[in-house]
Amino acid sequence: MSGTKRGSKNLLEDVIKAGLCTGCGACVTGCPYIVVREGRIVVLDRCTLEEGDCYRHCPRTRTDMNVVSGKVFGVPFSSAETGHALTIAMARSTDHLISKKAQDGGTVTTLLAFALDARMIEAVVCTKMDESKAPHGFVAHSRDELLQCAGSSYEAGFALEAFRKLPAGSADRVAAVGVGCQIEALAKMKAEAPVNGGNPDNIQLTVGLFCGWSLRSGYFRPILQGMGDPARIVKFDIPHSPHTSFDVYAEEGKSSVSLDEIRSAINPACQYCWDMTAEFSDISVGSAGSRFPGWNTIIVRTERGAELLARARDAGLIEIQELPEWRLAQLKTAALNRKRTAFKRLAEKSGDSQDLLYIFGLSEGFADSLLAG
Amino acid sequence: MASIAIDNPGSVVLLMGNEAIARGALEAGIGVAAAYPGSPTSEILPTLAGAAGERDIHVEWSANEKVATEVAAAASLAGIRSLAVMKQNGLNIAADFIVNLNMTGSGTGGMVIFVADDPGGMTSSNEQDSRAVAKWIDNPLLEAQDAQEAKDMLKWAYELSEAVMLPVFLRGVTRLCYTRGNVVLGELPVKNKKKAYFPDIWDMYNPTKSRFTAGPSAVAHRNLHEKLEKARAVFEESPFNRYSGPENPELLIIASGVCTSYSAEALEVLNIRKRVGLLKLGTVWPLPEKLVAKWLTAARKVLFVEETDPFVERSVMEFAASRLPEMDNPVFYGKRSGHLASYNEQSTDLVIAAVAEILGLPQQIRDPDYQRDAAEAMNLVPNRPINMCAGCPHRATFWAIKNAIALDGRNGFVCGDIGCYSMSFAAPGFYQSRTMQAMGSGAGVANGFGNLQQFGFAQPVLAVSGDSTFYHAVLPALVSGVYNKANFTLLILDNSATAMTGFQPHPGTGLLATGETAPVVNMEALCRSVGAEVSICDPFALGEATGTILEMMKQESGPRVIIMRHMCQLLKAKRKIPDKYHAWVDQEKCLGDSCGCDRLCTRIFGCPGLMWDSAAKKAVIDEAICVGCGLCADICPAGAIKKEEVN
Amino acid sequence: MAAGTLSKEPFNLIVAGVGGQGNVLLSAFIGLALVREGFVVSVADTFGVSQRGGSVTSHIKISKESSYSSVTLPGGADIILGMEPVETLRALGEFGNPHVVAIVNPRPVHPSGGGPYPALDEVKRAIIKLSAKATFVNATEEALKMGDPIYTNIILLGALLGAEVLPIGREAMLPVLQERFTEKIYEVNIKAFDKGIELVKAAAA
Repeated sequence: MSGTKRGSKNLLEDVIKAGLCTGCGACVTGCPYIVVREGRIVVLDRCTLEEGDCYRHCPRTRTDMNVVSGKVFGVPFSSAETGHALTIAMARSTDHLISKKAQDGGTVTTLLAFALDARMIEAVVCTKMDESKAPHGFVAHSRDELLQCAGSSYEAGFALEAFRKLPAGSADRVAAVGVGCQIEALAKMKAEAPVNGGNPDNIQLTVGLFCGWSLRSGYFRPILQGMGDPARIVKFDIPHSPHTSFDVYAEEGKSSVSLDEIRSAINPACQYCWDMTAEFSDISVGSAGSRFPGWNTIIVRTERGAELLARARDAGLIEIQELPEWRLAQLKTAALNRKRTAFKRLAEKSGDSQDLLYIFGLSEGFADSLLAG
Repeated sequence: MASIAIDNPGSVVLLMGNEAIARGALEAGIGVAAAYPGSPTSEILPTLAGAAGERDIHVEWSANEKVATEVAAAASLAGIRSLAVMKQNGLNIAADFIVNLNMTGSGTGGMVIFVADDPGGMTSSNEQDSRAVAKWIDNPLLEAQDAQEAKDMLKWAYELSEAVMLPVFLRGVTRLCYTRGNVVLGELPVKNKKKAYFPDIWDMYNPTKSRFTAGPSAVAHRNLHEKLEKARAVFEESPFNRYSGPENPELLIIASGVCTSYSAEALEVLNIRKRVGLLKLGTVWPLPEKLVAKWLTAARKVLFVEETDPFVERSVMEFAASRLPEMDNPVFYGKRSGHLASYNEQSTDLVIAAVAEILGLPQQIRDPDYQRDAAEAMNLVPNRPINMCAGCPHRATFWAIKNAIALDGRNGFVCGDIGCYSMSFAAPGFYQSRTMQAMGSGAGVANGFGNLQQFGFAQPVLAVSGDSTFYHAVLPALVSGVYNKANFTLLILDNSATAMTGFQPHPGTGLLATGETAPVVNMEALCRSVGAEVSICDPFALGEATGTILEMMKQESGPRVIIMRHMCQLLKAKRKIPDKYHAWVDQEKCLGDSCGCDRLCTRIFGCPGLMWDSAAKKAVIDEAICVGCGLCADICPAGAIKKEEVN
Repeated sequence: MAAGTLSKEPFNLIVAGVGGQGNVLLSAFIGLALVREGFVVSVADTFGVSQRGGSVTSHIKISKESSYSSVTLPGGADIILGMEPVETLRALGEFGNPHVVAIVNPRPVHPSGGGPYPALDEVKRAIIKLSAKATFVNATEEALKMGDPIYTNIILLGALLGAEVLPIGREAMLPVLQERFTEKIYEVNIKAFDKGIELVKAAAA
């Protein structure tokens, strides 16, 4: 990591050219020089500022985990496998309309639609797929708009660029949905407020999505094209067990491609990601696994997240169940392995076991114990 | 009545060199004038065009200088006096025609080619001394000192041309063309009633080849040299060569063209006119050797003052060498000795310095205190780089190109060309043009890049061309590209004018040099008929323009054309087409130099109508310069630049 | 200077401005009027590229008898008519001397590319330091009051003649302006011209 300079040129060197860019879109919001084009970050021209929001908020520039955790949770960075949590459970939507379109239990869509309807928030920053199923950042202002966003995209969507679409100086309360790197970027925005543009205090709620990796457009698109007309696709899914196929649900039925083929399109930057369960969110949501089709695993991390969940349940929109021990154990193991692998890769990349490139503020010995294992 | 055609011989008027040349051509009774705009000559033809109706002459902008010279030659062959006008680069293009014409000669109507060089390259892509061309291709060459002499030389040049049956070169430089001076008008001849007729037609009863077709070249070349010797004899007696000064000067200055004035003034300032002689040569090639010999004998030291090559210097030294060992030679000073540079303009102070050095005179020094104060004050003075005008459509086009190339992400680049848009090699066009040579070279070079795929070349290639440039030189390159399936995108920047040189009309504008209407040579139809796909965009519709460029860049077929069509802003002003918008910067919304902007509009976009208020740290629009095009409002990232329609 | 006479032989006037301000037209007017009064004049401008916002310097050499080269010698200016402050300073730097007289329109034109423009007060101070006499005439302001910045150069022409530093006066210039301007716009241009005379006399007072 370059020393103290934190401008766009440094972002280009330290993150984009270094192969760390996950496609979260945090740098794009608020900057006229950094844009997304066909799934790539493009820098249109030179910014001369020594320091900028692009570098500050990027989840792959220097991140002090303790500072961020302090800002989000008020406590130091948790050494728990799945991060700071109040409860971990299973949940699913009771709304069949949502369940049909949404991923697994449809919990995310239900919670946020409820939050909008109950006027807890005015807007949701999320990801919406276009006709060709390419994901883009989107701001939803109603349940209907939100429904259009339901269903996972496996491509990096740069969703945070949608913050740019929020009117400057708006007082609207906003929720955001994203994967780990995006939630981390939003947390960094809370730690160091943007210079111009969105007030991070407006972000009332963040919903994190479990994430293993995302796909690069340039490699994924040709595979998708080979499977028929993308406009006819309704949903994507990767069943947990057996973990060998990438399923595409289209109007005429389901087709699959081997997971190995899809792996060739994985963004190499994802190998440096430690955060499977979006540890800085208010509430994280993922698939409950093949044994519980149509259910989500949820990790409630803050009071805000807990409150929303409770209200939605009380309104009869969400069903909540206990997560079986073995399933929880599986989750924890997976999350820990993820951290271990990421730290190892980072140490390899830096050439120094003490240098995890962008990760700082871990407690003494935490990284070493993982690297040793 | 056109002022250049006033019939008032003996009156004194203020004319710039270009106007004086036009007047001289009228006084010489020309019937035809042809040219392509090229600084510093661009005003000659329009001045003649203004008098065309009155003087009953044919005046035209040709598509390029070669055609212009061919047009003038035809008139000469038909017995009509003609003038072809071009800048230095135009001569390079016309040269192939002239070398061939010289083989058989011009006609009974005299022909003069006026060529102007641009020492210092103030308005040119290169710097060259065209006099060497006359020597190389064997034409008599005259050089004028000032507007009066330029006018007077023309009539004499036509007589010479008719005597030797060769085109005569009259050479000028920027300072000649653009300096206004007192000119005494001569008589205008009775309007040309000579019938144009080309006598050398086929006689079936006595079939022989025309005088004006080629071969045998060696014989023709020998004849050409004989003509030059005839010209040399005339030059020995020419009134345009003058000596002033003592009979046996300590130092002899041999000067030609505007350098004569610098030399005369230098001697005046140094107050040594009684010691130093000045031999002014107006007839520069072939060298009037007898005249020169006389003064070489009289002087011990000779200084050559000329722009830019040591042309006269070499000719004289070559001649002087031939006099050895019978005659002694003086010591020669000039470019070879390093007293004057063989590049850039000359000036009086440079001549003063050279003469002072040679004669061991004290140098003139400015008041040292003043010099010091002046040097200090220069720290306050910022550079003033040239820029495209406020409202220029090229700024919009290159903004779209810049963004398209970045978004495309494959290291694309632009092959540049000649015109106002040449500025795209620098900040005004965001440094986008990466090559630039001659008229039409953008498309030409793009052709080459566009056929390197087999060597692994994978960068998208763009070429730019102006509208006038298109008709001048780009068309053959486009034809070649279609034929050879070269992969590139040609952007024709159609602003309805030959703008850089002064908004002259061209084959696409529907107007002639005289202002009469003309058939429009339709650009898009021409490109399509050649086999290229054509899109037309308004560069001010930035989104569409950028999208079209991106799309075209992705193709891998033969050349495709995007016509970026929007009238030149200065032309709009001339035609009183009103401003569209009133634009201003909302100071509250302006982000200035902070994150989220970093002065995008004043630092990169760079329209001269935008100013940076460094005290308030905001951008401001200068109402004295802004023309209300509204483009800045479209690129402001904070939406701080507002525009409202003006009715 | 008394009409018809030159205080120095030759006399050098420089008009310094920015491309687009119209100093080429201005120098043509001055040259024409002088020729009609029997002077031998040489006027040199830089055209073309300079129109695009670059520096434009016009040199006007005035003589009673001879035709001199057009460009002023370094340190050889007698009058500098500055259409823009830093351009005036630039001209003074190269062509100024202790006896030069400057008449200046103190309205900055920023160089493009957003480069810094020096503080106007500093520039004015430097102009005053580098000239024997410096008069500031707010020509652009007046032109904007008249409705169009295009009148700036005619106002400055008036100021130059009103300052009586050239061997020609208002009367010599009127026929030149009359020839150039159509009836429709002659009136407003004469107004601008006279405004310039008024302004320079007021500034001298």
